Amino acid sequence: MMKKLVLASLMLLAGLGVQAGEKKELHILSANDMHAAIECMPRLGFVADSLRALYPNLLVLSAGDNRSGEPLNDMYEIPAYPMVALMNIIGFDATTLGNHEFDSGQEGLAKLISMSAFPTLCANVQPDAKWNMHVKPYQVFDCGGIKVGIVGAVALGAMGIPESHPMNTTDIKFTDPLETLQQYQFLRKECDVVLFLSHLGFESDVKLSKDLPWVDIIVGGHSHTQLKGGEMHNGLFITQNKNRLACVTHTTLTLEDGKVVDRQAENIAIRGGKNENKVVRGLVDYFSQNPAFYRVLAQVDTPFECYEELGNMMCDAYKVEGHADLSFQNPGGVRYETKPVGGFTVADALRLDPFQNEAIELQLTGKELIDMMKKCYDNDNQGFPYVSGMKVDYTVDPATKALTKVVLYGEDGKKLNLKKTYKVITNSYTVAISATNRKDPGKGIGKITAQLIMDYLEHQGHVSYQGSRRIFRH
Amino acid sequence: MKLKVNRTTIELFEGAEIRHALITYLTRRRMSLKFLEQLEVRDVWGHEIDLDAPASAFTQIRLTFKEQ
Repeated sequence: MMKKLVLASLMLLAGLGVQAGEKKELHILSANDMHAAIECMPRLGFVADSLRALYPNLLVLSAGDNRSGEPLNDMYEIPAYPMVALMNIIGFDATTLGNHEFDSGQEGLAKLISMSAFPTLCANVQPDAKWNMHVKPYQVFDCGGIKVGIVGAVALGAMGIPESHPMNTTDIKFTDPLETLQQYQFLRKECDVVLFLSHLGFESDVKLSKDLPWVDIIVGGHSHTQLKGGEMHNGLFITQNKNRLACVTHTTLTLEDGKVVDRQAENIAIRGGKNENKVVRGLVDYFSQNPAFYRVLAQVDTPFECYEELGNMMCDAYKVEGHADLSFQNPGGVRYETKPVGGFTVADALRLDPFQNEAIELQLTGKELIDMMKKCYDNDNQGFPYVSGMKVDYTVDPATKALTKVVLYGEDGKKLNLKKTYKVITNSYTVAISATNRKDPGKGIGKITAQLIMDYLEHQGHVSYQGSRRIFRH
Repeated sequence: MKLKVNRTTIELFEGAEIRHALITYLTRRRMSLKFLEQLEVRDVWGHEIDLDAPASAFTQIRLTFKEQ
């Protein structure tokens, strides 16, 4: 009798396509915060091909921030298209949205998504229909008979939006990641594996893990945290790597009777690796010879003959394009000294300001501005910052080179009011080296300073700064 | 936005990266920025993190000098 029952049970299981005690493996190759490291993509292509040869149902995933960090990508004619093309050819299966995916606005993001051969999964984003932005909250993948439900989410900053320029996210509704994720618990019933593709950062992933018992694995990004393979937190497996493709993670989930019973993960070095996919290399080389870099933004009518003239032009760009009253920047941020008459190209602008520093807006009183400039002087090799919207008289102790007096004058020649608050733009490096006790710590305007310079030159058409002097040492 | 670097609370602008937290920390302590390249940055769990990681993703970081 017992034998008959066991036999009947086995026959029933076989009829359902499930074999008792059957083990299956799901292989995942995951990257995060690639930040347009296009030089590493041929190596990533090689690694993906190699793993796919061993595991044909390999899932290749990105946890967001695929772009922003390499001008060849970010300033392409269709901004950030090169990374999309490279991810298509490597065979990515899905990405989530990182905060930087919004860097070229809703229209730019919608265009990139439409060009992607892989879905964009992000549950806490609801774009306005007018953008025709194809973001799905989740998707179920069939990986050789294993049903994998993937749901994505992006981190929200202090203003309740991802950390990008606020203008880039108007008309998009964002919701709390945890509350939103809980709406997708039904995936547990429908899938063998539930994967959360997270751009929330490691700390948030660990905090959330106790509230997501229905999830098997978090493939994380945002905080650029280098884990050794993966880690278990509150029963949930979490992976993440440093940014710009230092490493990727190969995760193996073992399933028995449709349940995950084992999790293993290893890091695979990408940056600096030798073997490459030659087709991906060819595409990277093509994107690297981008003629858009030699586009002339403005004509230089009189030659730039010293650092201060170029620094003045940069500060004018911050002030004008940042719609500020005043601007200043550290002298060390001006990377060449002369520029002859002729065309000022995109490449010239990126060589002048190559650091990808963000433009920072501060509300400062005249006194707070002087305090910041003094700190900047002390911490930037005792060079006085370049300025716009003002002129400066400063006095230096000849023995110690310490600043003894700073007086600021407005464009009308009158002294700036020390109590009045001004809107000031500078770069993120200058803010970091100029720590003072001030009311406003500042906020990023979501653009790099090189972009402000390029916008300024393009809007001006012609520039002439020969003999322009604004800082006077006594 | 505030972040603890070792035991010091650093106030940063919105959108700052870990690099800016370190620069602020070093300049406040009157240490040369040359040390920036010699520091190893880790989160509270001891994981290595990048200088260009968003500062907002952390409540605390720890600095140690890299072993030569």
